[in-house]
Amino acid sequence: MISFLNPLLLIGILGAAIPVIIHLINKKKAISHKFAAIDFLFQSNKRIYVKFKLRQLILLVLRACLFAFLAMALAKPFIKSYGAGGADGKTPTSSVIIVDESYSMQYAEKTNTLFHSAKDAARNIIGNLTKDDKAAVIGCSPANSKDVPELEYDKEKLTAIIDDLHSGYSTTDITSALDRAIEILIADEAPVKQIFIITDLARNGWDLQWFQNGQQKLHNNVACVHIVDVSEGKESKNVALTGLELRNNAFGTSGDISFKATVFNYSPDKIKNLLAQVFVDQKKVTQGFFNSEANSAETKEFCFKVEKGSHFGWIEIPDDNLITDNKRYFTLNEEQKIDALLIDGDPRTNIYESETFYLEKALNPAREHASSIKPVICSVQEVEGLKFEDFDIVFFCNVEMLPYEKVWELEKYVKEGGAVIFSLGDKVDSSYYNSSFGSLLPHRLHTKKTFSGNTLITEEQPLHVKISGETHPVMRVLFEMHSTMMSSINFYQVFYLDPTPLEGAKTILSFSDNTPAIIERQVGKGKAVLFTSSIDRDWTDLPVKPLFVPLIQQLCRYISGSVTGDTRHETLVGQSWQFPSPYDAENLEMTNPEGTKTLLSPQVIENEKYFVYNETHVPGIYSCIINDASQLKNPFFFPVNVDVLESNPEKIGEKELTALMGETNVTIRSFRSGERREVVTGEAKKTLWGIFLLLVFGLLVAESFISRK
Amino acid sequence: MTENPFDPVTLSKIANMELRARLVADAVMSGIHKSPYTGSSIEFLEHKEYSPGNEIKHIDWKVQAKTDKYYVKQFEEETNLKSYLFVDASGSMGYKSKGVSKLEYAITLAASLAYVLLKQSDLVGLVCFSDGVKQYVPPRSRLSHFHAIIKTLEGLEAKGQSDTGAVLKEFAEKISHRSLIIIISDFFDNREAITRQLKYFHFKKNEVVLFHILDHYELTFPFEAITYFESMEDERKILADPKTIKERYLAEINRFIEQFKKTCLENQIDYWMIDTSTPLDQTLIQFLARRENVLRSIIKR
Repeated sequence: MISFLNPLLLIGILGAAIPVIIHLINKKKAISHKFAAIDFLFQSNKRIYVKFKLRQLILLVLRACLFAFLAMALAKPFIKSYGAGGADGKTPTSSVIIVDESYSMQYAEKTNTLFHSAKDAARNIIGNLTKDDKAAVIGCSPANSKDVPELEYDKEKLTAIIDDLHSGYSTTDITSALDRAIEILIADEAPVKQIFIITDLARNGWDLQWFQNGQQKLHNNVACVHIVDVSEGKESKNVALTGLELRNNAFGTSGDISFKATVFNYSPDKIKNLLAQVFVDQKKVTQGFFNSEANSAETKEFCFKVEKGSHFGWIEIPDDNLITDNKRYFTLNEEQKIDALLIDGDPRTNIYESETFYLEKALNPAREHASSIKPVICSVQEVEGLKFEDFDIVFFCNVEMLPYEKVWELEKYVKEGGAVIFSLGDKVDSSYYNSSFGSLLPHRLHTKKTFSGNTLITEEQPLHVKISGETHPVMRVLFEMHSTMMSSINFYQVFYLDPTPLEGAKTILSFSDNTPAIIERQVGKGKAVLFTSSIDRDWTDLPVKPLFVPLIQQLCRYISGSVTGDTRHETLVGQSWQFPSPYDAENLEMTNPEGTKTLLSPQVIENEKYFVYNETHVPGIYSCIINDASQLKNPFFFPVNVDVLESNPEKIGEKELTALMGETNVTIRSFRSGERREVVTGEAKKTLWGIFLLLVFGLLVAESFISRK
Repeated sequence: MTENPFDPVTLSKIANMELRARLVADAVMSGIHKSPYTGSSIEFLEHKEYSPGNEIKHIDWKVQAKTDKYYVKQFEEETNLKSYLFVDASGSMGYKSKGVSKLEYAITLAASLAYVLLKQSDLVGLVCFSDGVKQYVPPRSRLSHFHAIIKTLEGLEAKGQSDTGAVLKEFAEKISHRSLIIIISDFFDNREAITRQLKYFHFKKNEVVLFHILDHYELTFPFEAITYFESMEDERKILADPKTIKERYLAEINRFIEQFKKTCLENQIDYWMIDTSTPLDQTLIQFLARRENVLRSIIKR
């Protein structure tokens, strides 16, 4: 079946009548002449007259065809195979229908969403298939990335699949869907294989890199790619909440929450006084107004107070054509106070020179009541009067030795769930440590190693931190945020550890020579951490580096068990959520925003136990409860939000699309109007305007030849 | 440039046919148009020894008395020639490209010839025909007879189909031998029938002269635009592209002329192909000059 890109130009076919009209006019206008020697004309004309008439007729037909073909060529004809089997309507086809189910398809100007139109379009395509045609329907959200159905003859079944489709909250991934479509079609032997992509043509769904190889794959395996634009080529107007940056109480007053929210106005019109409301634990806590120019963003800061503990909330703006991205969720985990005991092994009269000076500042950077960590400093002698069990964490800072009974108490304290952090220094004797704290130390100490630096003992350069893709929960955020800062930290003296690792020891941070800098070990229910350099400036400049404070804070929260995973790190729809499994956790009960409960068992990933949850298909607050043998913890939350990439309604250009497809035949049509807006082909046999132009040229040559003759 | 007074177009401006004919005839006539045939004339030519069959009344008895031999007188006869002018007035003769039609040319030619002949005291008859005889003026020798001829010619209209063969056949028995038969026509007709009759006239010792009148356009076919050519004698018409058929047409008409000329030559018929654009005096001069030569050669024989 032939279709046309510019069907209006088909009016030009009427031009075929022009030669006929001219012929008729000329025929009427032919000079009438009375002639005596007409017998000779009849004799002469007897054969020529037939030839003349024939020539006139041929010229007439040629000229009429010339106009008609020119009009047809300009109308850009091509073989229509849209949803109607092969080009001839008889050749059996195999089609894969890719339905864009990303949340941008929930865009609705009136009542129907684009996704409804997409389903209608898919049904339409199925309806147009003949009984010999096969088809498969696939989605293109990451959740369906492994969905490779078989081709079906049964139209009812296919229609049922389409009916069951629902628009998700994920982003579009057209190219992975194309991969699957090719995989489905490649095994099939139908003479015509085609792919239908029903989409809003949102740019973010098209991975341009994919086409570097995919282009050839498409061309080799697919006869034609039909793209149905359900957005009808219209510009979408969308206002979305695109950013939410939480800034809680690390340095501020405890319980004070501030966050920055960003609204992006993707519409061509300016927005004024757009109300944004913040809800915490389902109660409105604050609100603000956004004013944004067309195609620009505005960021506002919201501040409010919350009680200690875990909270969840969201910020929302009024509904527009696309409501999915008008709400962003967050969780707040206001930790309980952590009591830390800092045993100073090298106290000085000048407090700046004390071993614990920097550590104490790092644990409690502002006023005493502002930090969730409450440090208590004591000397070795004072330790005897204190009970370790009164503290959540015990820091050993360059401690030379400890009374025997306190060593035994420390071991008991850790095994019952306490946390100890050893930092070293010139007072530390490796043999004493190995013998006294051997059951606690994550690694046995070996030798002290001095690098160049202030003392210039050796000519070696100072050690640095190894920058690598660390996955330890303590370092994950730090590496993401401060990887460049890390390389500037110098270590002048360190303790090398015994090369034989102890069981259960895990390196949190390494030096550039791959020796451990911070190493942890699970001891009973508790944790012991060893920092192989000093915690003051004697052996390193770490305490005066900006990274020191977050490192110490994060380390404390981690070993005290109050780091609830990566709560600040936003989880997007479809992304995997991982949570470090506590020592004796049996399982984790996950409740998604729709109320569906899932019981997760810990999985070992790189020697670490994690709870892994992949079903983050719905944006909202996910609630978790960790069940272990001894206690039932309070629930904590994590937010899942939609990826803002999908909020951007920018469409991929049709020319760009056709260029991406390379030599594969592409048709792009609007769904409702059915108007075919662009067709590009790599093969002349699929489109006909080249043939028509060739015919026009041929006709011109023939016409001039015959008329001259 | 001085206008040739005998140009057909110029002549056609002279409304009076008689005047036209006389103008032409007077100009071209040298006054020496003599009859090649002997008869009762006042001018003695010579004596000839009597032979059986000669009329006794022509025996010159005076010579017999002197020589005792029988001689008959021979006279130069000038007026006893009986001429018939056949003028084709069929529809096709009405064709004219520019200037004069073939019929107009034929009429002027016929009138001029009639005048010349009458001035020589010949008997001149006129037959106007198309598919049959339209007008017939019996031969007379009086000069006043010229008026009757002129009147007849003036009333002619080119109309109807031509059937020259039939008309000639009709007159074949009426025309006595040794007459001068002048046929002025385009001969767009049944050529075989005409040829047959011409042969018959020749057989009967008649002198036949054919004036084959053709229009200049018929000879050159200078048309260019696609044209509906309509027959002048019937309802036939043909749409033709002149450029396409010109070559073939010219070949056809030239073949026709050549065949006619050949037939005439074979039958000792005086054939004159005349283009209507040719000045009439020129035609007549040439005709009379050649005719004079022919007659003299006949007489000498």
